[in-house]
Amino acid sequence: MSIKILHKGLADSIQDIGRYGFQHLGIQPNGCMDLLSASLANSILQNDIHTPVIELHFPSSQIQFLEDGIICITGANFVPVLNEKSIALYKPILVKKNDVLSMLQPLEGSIAYVGIKAVYDSPKWLNSHSFNTAKLKTEDVLPFSMHPSNPIAMKTLNENLNHALIEQVHNNIFSNTNPIRILPGPAWQDVNENALYELINTPFTISAQRNRMGYPLTGPKLNLNIPNAYLSSAVTRGTLQLLPSGDLIVLMADHQTIGGYANLGQIILVDLPRFAQMKTGISFKFSVANLENAQTLFRTMYATF
Amino acid sequence: MASDALTDYDFWKNYWLSKEGLIFPIPNQYTFTKELAELIESKKINGILDVIPSYHTLTIIYDITLFLSPTQNVNDQLQLFSTQLLSEYENNALTINKNEETIHQVPVCYENIFALDMENISKTNQISCQAIIQLHTSKQYDVYSIGFLPGFTYMGSVDEKIKIARHPKPRNEVAAGSVGIAGLQTGIYPTNSPGGWQIIGKTPWKIFDPDPNKLAKFKVGDQVQFYAIGKEEFDSLNEHI
Repeated sequence: MSIKILHKGLADSIQDIGRYGFQHLGIQPNGCMDLLSASLANSILQNDIHTPVIELHFPSSQIQFLEDGIICITGANFVPVLNEKSIALYKPILVKKNDVLSMLQPLEGSIAYVGIKAVYDSPKWLNSHSFNTAKLKTEDVLPFSMHPSNPIAMKTLNENLNHALIEQVHNNIFSNTNPIRILPGPAWQDVNENALYELINTPFTISAQRNRMGYPLTGPKLNLNIPNAYLSSAVTRGTLQLLPSGDLIVLMADHQTIGGYANLGQIILVDLPRFAQMKTGISFKFSVANLENAQTLFRTMYATF
Repeated sequence: MASDALTDYDFWKNYWLSKEGLIFPIPNQYTFTKELAELIESKKINGILDVIPSYHTLTIIYDITLFLSPTQNVNDQLQLFSTQLLSEYENNALTINKNEETIHQVPVCYENIFALDMENISKTNQISCQAIIQLHTSKQYDVYSIGFLPGFTYMGSVDEKIKIARHPKPRNEVAAGSVGIAGLQTGIYPTNSPGGWQIIGKTPWKIFDPDPNKLAKFKVGDQVQFYAIGKEEFDSLNEHI
């Protein structure tokens, strides 16, 4: 028994890469909101890619380690402190029994990941540890069996750090102000040209009502040329839905499996971690991508994991 | 273009390609999605993560690193994949066994305690509650899709006389087992959840069980016929405990 939640955060949870193969029964994939940062934490710790991580939003849970171990924090910079002493992101960090990890302020990004050099001793549900309703609560004890945290293990991890990759992933997510790229969806032809012009040329912001199911956007109202009466069909993470009110919402990790709103497009997967990490109220624009490029970019980005 | 009829295929004239998924247009025959999904499943194609049938679409979620070759044009590959699959389907269409449909006789208690919107439909559509129940139980419905929530069952089509729009503002909580109408669709809520469908009754059956050996009670392509039961029978059959 190794990690305890001393004080719960706003919406923290245990997540892995999610659950596929059950969407035809309406069972959501769930999984990390920013898969790239989460995978990077596991990569730095040389964990299996399926190892669950702790996903932290802000205000974040305060976490106590009940054994010695090695952790790695990636994603948002919430100014992590271990027993009030500041610690680095994107590096293996040694923790001692009873150490307390807290997050002080949301400096950069929206979602932080705590990777743990450990095995998670809990049963999966349908091949995944991600459960969309299971927010971490105060007093929860998470059954991570820590990997021995001896100096040799730390040395090996440090020697194997891929600094170029870490910098590339971090910059791509947090220092990149390019438009968020979308592929046109089935309802693309159902909005008028003026609305498409606004979609591409007007800045949007993510509204404060954001959660793991979806990010509602604030921006110009877009209208359909036809009555909003679509038959339900499958949606996925990154799907851009146009609501009858004229507002947009982007579906995220806990999205429902099928939806009946106008499906305007799809944020390409390489831009989804960056979108997931954007702070509330920050302006961004959309641009139109093509499938060939999107897939090449994806291969390049994920080839390393 | 789009309409709320359950058999509108024009809307999906062009299939939609995305980074993560591929949607097929389907011929004017609803079991097509189910049969095509079965065909894909039977081929055990590497890199296909999910195959999701719905009313008029079949969506495939794939891992590009496994499903596609990096050396060939993506659009060409997807085009080839779908063309081959559709022609394989067409060649086998006559031999696919269409008699495997499962028919479920599903009990529903239409009494006031559960039928939150019965009065509303009665007033709006100028039809008696008795007639609503009679019409709702008089047809066998096709299961078109399972989704929105784990196990939520989308069926159709109900009689035009009991067609009713969703509530403009969803209820904060609809009870598990609630049977509702939205447009020409009828559906069952698997778990307590927010929802906008107009509720006319409740089934005592648990239609979704997280036990990996059970999961969803119905599957796409099944047939459902409702029959009315009283509150006492509901209580004796109640699985929502």
